[in-house]
Amino acid sequence: MTGDITPVVVRLKLSLLRNGLRQSGGRRAAYVASAIVTFLFAALQLIGLIALRGHAHAASVVVLLVAVLALGWAVMPLFFPGGDETLDPTRLVMLPLRPRPMVRALLVASLVGIGPLFTLCLLAGSVVSVAHGGAAYAVGVIAVVLALLVCVALARAVAAANVRLLTSRKGRDLAVLSGLVIAIGAQLVNFGAQRLGSSGLAQLDPAAEVLRWVPPASAIGAVDSVSEGSYGRAVAQLALSAGALVALLAVWSRHLTRLMTAPDGSTLQTEGSAVRERTSTGLARLLPAGRTGTVMERSLRYIWRDPKTKAAWVTSLAIGLIVPVFNAWQGTGSIYFACFAAGMLGIQMYNQFGQDTSAFWMVALTISTTRDAYVELRARALALLVITLPYATLVTVLTTAMLGDWPTLPEALGLSFALLGAMLATGAWTSARFPYSIPQEGYKNVAPGQVGLAWVSIFGGMIAAALLCAPVIVGTILLNASESGDPWSWLMLPAGAAYGAAITLLGLRLAAPRTARRLPEILAAVSRG
Amino acid sequence: MTEGTLAKRAAVRVQGLWKRFGEQVAVAGIDLELPAGKFIGLVGPNGAGKTTTLSMVTGLLRPDQGTVEVVGHDVWRDPVAVKARIGVLPEGLRLFDRLSGRELLAYSGRLRGLPGAEVDKRATQLLDVLDLAGAQHKLVVDYSTGMRKKIGLAAALLHNPEVLFLDEPFEGVDPVSAQTIRGVLERYTDSGATVVFSSHVMELVESLCDWVAVMAAGRIRAQGTLAEVRGDAPSLQAAFLELVGANGRDAGSDLDWLGGGAR
Repeated sequence: MTGDITPVVVRLKLSLLRNGLRQSGGRRAAYVASAIVTFLFAALQLIGLIALRGHAHAASVVVLLVAVLALGWAVMPLFFPGGDETLDPTRLVMLPLRPRPMVRALLVASLVGIGPLFTLCLLAGSVVSVAHGGAAYAVGVIAVVLALLVCVALARAVAAANVRLLTSRKGRDLAVLSGLVIAIGAQLVNFGAQRLGSSGLAQLDPAAEVLRWVPPASAIGAVDSVSEGSYGRAVAQLALSAGALVALLAVWSRHLTRLMTAPDGSTLQTEGSAVRERTSTGLARLLPAGRTGTVMERSLRYIWRDPKTKAAWVTSLAIGLIVPVFNAWQGTGSIYFACFAAGMLGIQMYNQFGQDTSAFWMVALTISTTRDAYVELRARALALLVITLPYATLVTVLTTAMLGDWPTLPEALGLSFALLGAMLATGAWTSARFPYSIPQEGYKNVAPGQVGLAWVSIFGGMIAAALLCAPVIVGTILLNASESGDPWSWLMLPAGAAYGAAITLLGLRLAAPRTARRLPEILAAVSRG
Repeated sequence: MTEGTLAKRAAVRVQGLWKRFGEQVAVAGIDLELPAGKFIGLVGPNGAGKTTTLSMVTGLLRPDQGTVEVVGHDVWRDPVAVKARIGVLPEGLRLFDRLSGRELLAYSGRLRGLPGAEVDKRATQLLDVLDLAGAQHKLVVDYSTGMRKKIGLAAALLHNPEVLFLDEPFEGVDPVSAQTIRGVLERYTDSGATVVFSSHVMELVESLCDWVAVMAAGRIRAQGTLAEVRGDAPSLQAAFLELVGANGRDAGSDLDWLGGGAR
């Protein structure tokens, strides 16, 4: 095929975009709304960046911003695989295209859209805030173009390299986790911003010192270098970005060629050799025999392999750590905040059978007696404890270390263990009493029509758990209030642990007969969605 | 086996079984007596109540009324005896599909209290026979429909049950897998065990089963040996259409414009 295909592909992208919008009013509204929000945001950024001009740390802020932007471009295709179907190269596989013109055409077409426009605004603003003098503006134009191309090429290269992953089940699993990454990222940004607010933008300088050499931020770094008169440094920084662009295009082109020429193997049967061996691991040998070990092994495997369970666990682990440790770090914390870890992880005991989804029938068919149900629930609690117990201890010790309040460690640990026990007990009971379905697709964690049930289960259970902990809380308060209490405060550790264990066993005992009696009802409740 | 001992040795005995979902009556008081050691087909159109019936018989759904006995034990009063003796492959329910095929069998067998070594031995043989050995370390979630039915069947057979309940075991299954499943099931019934399976594909039921129960709109329309149910009709399909009263429906006159060149 002769002639340039670039305009053809760009026109294709434009008409796909237009036709997509023509399909439904809702989609058009969503697109227009997101465009307006993006433009407002871009405009604010632009104003902010221009206002930053002349500020001592402007260069650091700008370099960091561009680096974060590039990171966003790199990660986006992994979390929003369907984001840019108009550029799916596998759709063009039947056409006789050579790699080089195709890469050029697809690159130009990728520049059409809201994302690139937003990036362009931000990059332009960045240049304005650091450029001083005509030479700097001239370099700025090159820098903007270069940085924009690096961002787009980065996204395309990542998408092309992972297209097999993104169109597979694993890719969909990854998308479930994306909300989680955003949530935890927001927490970190929040804490970061608080620190910046308290100690000033100078904090950014060390990071910016490194990033100004990392493409595409190095392109903006070059503008700053020119403004300061160090032209050699500027040339090196620009060259780095240009080099990165060439390298990315080469990687992209190679993956593209392979995609277009190699057969799609996704539906082929893989024979033994290609598949990773999943034989019973060391884990299985450490676990007790019988139903207990079997159930524990499956529960632990699901924490890692099931995207919904994994997301819930990672959230609990992260928040259980972030809240006490960051608060302690900022000096506003209390050692008792460490109980947060036990509380957050204890939530995982709730709705145990809902986590099984309709696969619960396999469990239901093997529970014939109250004893079976008891062993099943106990094994699930044990699997949870394998992770929770060391983790809660670690978080408590860490918080104590940061606060330097070692004498209080035993009672904080005791309280943590008591709370964990109460959460396991109420979790087991509500699992049997208020089971509900967890939809496997999307971000929702409760099936429609069962929201009330989930609220009763989780919040009722948590209040009950807090009440159940009352004896230990009261004990701790009394010890702290009395003059002669201090030498005895270590007693709260064994007392709390024993109380937690006892109340867990009691909760399991109460939940077991109910589970054994209500198997069909539980199965019906967890099989929706 | 004579007719007299058959009645004594019923694999499944259902009496006055009812199930309503709100206003909808899914199963309207059915009585069934399925003989042991047979290949039994439960046939009926979609929505006839086959899945609801099988769920109630296997203890996965609580009936509103009626009793179910499996090999002489009441499903709801004596679950210990019943659950150890049955194998189930339900339709529309998931498996623990984040386990690999082999892990699923290991889990399922150990959960039923079989010794680990025995579970692993049986799992290896089942995986071989069902042609899943190559995919045994793949997660079940990545299996095709046919492979899922086969691994579900393996999990249902692992503890060597006396009665096997299969809900639409051939639905969405390719011919090769279907033939494999068929072979395993025939070998299993030859040893004296009972298979109860539901289907709406009459040709399949006719070629596989020696005993048939026909269901429509929540009721049993006929039950007995294949010959008894078929009667004078040329095929089970014809007999079935007559039983459910679908024979009179002639679509000919309404669609007289269809075919014969565009106009």
